[in-house]
Amino acid sequence: MGTMQIEHHVIPFEPGDNVLHVALNAGISIPHFCYHDALGSLGACRLCAVEISHKDSGQVPRVAMACLEPAGDGLIVSVSAKTAQRVRQQVIELLMVNHPHDCPICDEGGECHLQNMTVTCGPPYRRYRGHKRTFLNQNLGPLIHHEMNRCITCYRCTRFYQEYALGHDLGAMRLRNEVYFGRFQDGPLESPFAGNLVEVCPTGVFTDALFRQHFARVWDLKTAPSICPHCSIGCNTLPGARDGTLRRVRNRTHAELNRWFICDRGRFGHQYSEHSARPFSPRVSGENTSYHEALTAAAAKIKAAQDCIGGLGSVREDLEGNAMLQALLSHLSGTFTAFNDPELEAATISAVGSQQNSGRAPSLVEIEQIDAALVIGDLTAHAPMIDLALRQAYRRGAKLGLLHSSPTPLSQFATTAMTVSPQEMHARLSRLCEFVHVSSEINSAHDPLMADIVTSLKEARKPLLIGTIEILNAPVVNALAELATALGPDVRLAYAFPGSNAYGAALLSPAGNTLAILEAVETGRIRTLIVAGNDPLGDSRFAPRWRMARRNLNALIVLDCVATATAEAADILIPVAAWPERGGTFVNYEGRAQGFAPVFRRLEYLPSTADIIADLASMLEHPLKNTASILHDALPGFIAPSPGAAGAHINVQKLPILNAVAMQSIQKCHDSTWQAALTSWIGDEALAGFAPELAKLAPADVALINPEAALNNGIQDGSRIILRSPAGSVEIPAQHHPAVASQTVSISRNVLTRLGIGHGDPLELAHVL
Amino acid sequence: MQALLTRHLDAAAPLNLAAYQAVGGYSSLTAAFDLKPEKIIEIVEAANLRGRGGAGFPCGTKWRLRGIDVPSPRYLICNIDESEPGTFKDRYLLYGGPHQIIEAIIVSAFALQAERAFIFVRGEYAKGGHGLHQAILEAQAAGLLGSNIRGSGFNLQIEIHLSGGRYICGEETAQINAIEGRRPNPRPKIPRPSVRGLWGQPTTTNNVETLVNVPHILLNGARWFRDLGINGGSGPKLFCISGKVQHPGLFELPCGTPVRELIFEHAGGLDEKETLLGFLPGGASTAFLLPEHLDIPMDFDAIAHAGSRLGTGSLIVLDSSTCPIEVTLNLLRFFSRESCGFCTPCRDGLPYLAQILATITAGEGQCEDLALLDELCAMISAQSFCAFAPGAVMPLISSLQCFHEHYEQHIAIGHCPFDATQQGAA
Repeated sequence: MGTMQIEHHVIPFEPGDNVLHVALNAGISIPHFCYHDALGSLGACRLCAVEISHKDSGQVPRVAMACLEPAGDGLIVSVSAKTAQRVRQQVIELLMVNHPHDCPICDEGGECHLQNMTVTCGPPYRRYRGHKRTFLNQNLGPLIHHEMNRCITCYRCTRFYQEYALGHDLGAMRLRNEVYFGRFQDGPLESPFAGNLVEVCPTGVFTDALFRQHFARVWDLKTAPSICPHCSIGCNTLPGARDGTLRRVRNRTHAELNRWFICDRGRFGHQYSEHSARPFSPRVSGENTSYHEALTAAAAKIKAAQDCIGGLGSVREDLEGNAMLQALLSHLSGTFTAFNDPELEAATISAVGSQQNSGRAPSLVEIEQIDAALVIGDLTAHAPMIDLALRQAYRRGAKLGLLHSSPTPLSQFATTAMTVSPQEMHARLSRLCEFVHVSSEINSAHDPLMADIVTSLKEARKPLLIGTIEILNAPVVNALAELATALGPDVRLAYAFPGSNAYGAALLSPAGNTLAILEAVETGRIRTLIVAGNDPLGDSRFAPRWRMARRNLNALIVLDCVATATAEAADILIPVAAWPERGGTFVNYEGRAQGFAPVFRRLEYLPSTADIIADLASMLEHPLKNTASILHDALPGFIAPSPGAAGAHINVQKLPILNAVAMQSIQKCHDSTWQAALTSWIGDEALAGFAPELAKLAPADVALINPEAALNNGIQDGSRIILRSPAGSVEIPAQHHPAVASQTVSISRNVLTRLGIGHGDPLELAHVL
Repeated sequence: MQALLTRHLDAAAPLNLAAYQAVGGYSSLTAAFDLKPEKIIEIVEAANLRGRGGAGFPCGTKWRLRGIDVPSPRYLICNIDESEPGTFKDRYLLYGGPHQIIEAIIVSAFALQAERAFIFVRGEYAKGGHGLHQAILEAQAAGLLGSNIRGSGFNLQIEIHLSGGRYICGEETAQINAIEGRRPNPRPKIPRPSVRGLWGQPTTTNNVETLVNVPHILLNGARWFRDLGINGGSGPKLFCISGKVQHPGLFELPCGTPVRELIFEHAGGLDEKETLLGFLPGGASTAFLLPEHLDIPMDFDAIAHAGSRLGTGSLIVLDSSTCPIEVTLNLLRFFSRESCGFCTPCRDGLPYLAQILATITAGEGQCEDLALLDELCAMISAQSFCAFAPGAVMPLISSLQCFHEHYEQHIAIGHCPFDATQQGAA
């Protein structure tokens, strides 16, 4: 550690640092374009010119680029020196030679780094009298708009896209002042992180196409610190709204989670809250009515049910909504769970339990530092930012082992990737556990790939095991936890949970309640069901049972902000505020509780779930304490974190439930030839599924089958097949794909739902003649 | 001086291995393998062999500074990405005598203890690259490449990389990126490629003309080599002469031969009716010199002293019928076209310069344009990322000095005085 002087301030620095980074960290501004905290120094734009001298040398000060100048003891750096200012002015003049000067209609207006730099450093007038170079733009898909004439060639986009996010289909092409950043040909950007180009680009080349459709000037946007509702990572976001509508979502830096970037689901999934079919008016028996009437009707039904009541909270409902529903039900002697799928409940609760035993999951920044990982299932769609963090670990040389049933983008970076059918996953993990205690030579002789995975985990200083809950059942979750125990104390364990608040919802959900409620509805012991943000009738595996059982209900009362199958079927539907329209708390995959603030209000009256439950409770003459007290009762010691703060780990030790019950899978082993696996896609999520522009990128429904297994059964690539289950059948094209496990048919959630089966369930397969 | 490097060149029928060995080819291998690598470097340094690719850095010093105990693998790159306008010497070497190049690479790689060498061949020289590839196969079959060459214990593999075809690929670090399969933008020069070059390993790049001198130095000694040069130069030099001379072409002459002798004796002088306006001594990226510099020896230090660079030793001659601004514009158009587009001053500055020059030659120049050219040149030269742009503006900076009155005249009369179609309007 040494010290240097920048603009007369004495600043400490770490060896190996550069002058620009040292200055920016110390809060001293040096104009720059191509340098980016995440992407490092490049030296291309030449804007960060500073004057450098040394306190002990009599040498004449020289102009140097701060981003490339190593920090050194005794350096004297002047940002304001005339010579440096002159260079910066000339650089801006050159950058503006071909710029279209379309600032009045530019989407970047108000937050344009180029405009800021031009006003800060540039000459007031242009001298160039020639023609400007112009480009043709590309169609980069429905999410990102391309306007190449504005480009200043800082290479940030391609460095982010190719080097950081490890994408392939955007790059720098051509040369001289015609360097073109785009795709080889028109088409949607393939990276699930492409949306970050919007923020990485210092000018308006890549802009948010959704924001563009419904544009507002950025200084007119209402913003407030928020948390992304589209997966369990809990990325910090900054939604922007105007005139009672949500316009866009941007990244908001969290020092341990998403520092600069968010995924495309987080950025573009918010369109669900603007969906044309979104319920805005309360409905009773299909008729629009007032909020008061709907509450009155609900209260009447609940009273009529006489304690035969159940409630489904949700993994995407905030802690407040779930806790209030749970509290109301306990007043009414009802039963509460946050899940509609007993299998998912068991897996999630087991995972939360094992997190308690193994210690907290690593943050995204910690995941970037791991040197070996074993990944079970697909992370790209279930926890996209963990995928991006693992890509950083991979760039640093981490070895990635992967066990998956269906294709996953991470396999391209895996040191050892093995396709494993869902039914086989438990046995495979148990086998890995056995391998831990045996020498690598013996293991190699048995199974070299498995031996590789175990060896890299054992040799790693910071190994990580991570599984995707949605495709794991409780025994597999526990097997992964046992593997963590076998590997020793250095190993970190994490799970990608099935919802923004799945961790928090699991804390409130007693194990076994989901099946208990389903059976109680089936047998008529529960006659009124309150569903808050859940979609039992749309579940892929349990929808057929829920649909049958629903006939026994005297009332299905639904509180939601999207038109799910359950909301459509509701007897009483009360629309609730979408996430940016209310405040609340989510508990992320680490067990970190983070608060989000209401960003804006719509014209319609849209209360939060917690508010509706409170109103309902009052109407039922069982008034509840305020939400904070209820939460405090449900989670002893819990204090709701304030929005914008880093969030605190929820102290699960004091919880009454959850001691990693060795839960048995209710999914029975079967000897069917074929089993289903979930094909993941980043837009496939309960809320984002309602975002129209994101949905345009959904892959076509096909049945992916391992080529060898397919040909053994006479299934040609592209031929049409029929998938059958007890609940239905689907005719669909077959497609050969090497990254599908043997005897496994990998299909989208949509197809699973049509078949009424889940990941790992058996299905029949027939040729179309 | 008897031709040394061009003696056995024959582009129509280059010598095959047997024929090349019959005229003494590959005899330097014996001399080299008898010596310690350090000793070879010492001899090359004593021979004062300066780099023929343009920069003129002493070859032996470059090799010595890389160090002996650097990590393996080490790489040698032989640069035949000759793309400078007016420079065609490497083409003769490539098309005319591939085995001469292979021999030079073997002894040089031995001196550097590099186990893998790459020959980076200009894209347009694909045919020559093909011939060189055939010669490599011939040499491999004869045990001159591969492992334990002639029982020396030294292993060497040579690979040809045919360029995608851009001028910037001749730049040392851009070339390394190109060989690695990346976009050929230059890299930061710290650490030096000799420390972290190709795939992060110590890498030495030499121009092909530099390397083909090495076998002769090993066979005949440093002193003999130095004495081949005159007027302070060392060794032979391939001079390319083009422009307004009677007999343009390639001439192998002692390094240090005066300009006057090159133009008027070897290249046959100018058209009788014309006088000399000026010349570029070392290729397109060097500064113009004037008739008053005719007696300067074509050697690195002497030309540098006169304010230009020997560069690749490629004279481009302008006579009094040539508009120097048109020539300068032509060069700037070339360089702005060949900028890799990485850094702002080069990418956006060079086309700006070309645009101003174009308005001047079109007779639309303004008085303040000359000061603007000066200002932009100074900034571009000082603030660019690699050596490309400083080289690119060198002819313009000197053109503005050497031919100042021509610029003023263009602006004052509103058209190009050399333009015959405009004579009546004048």
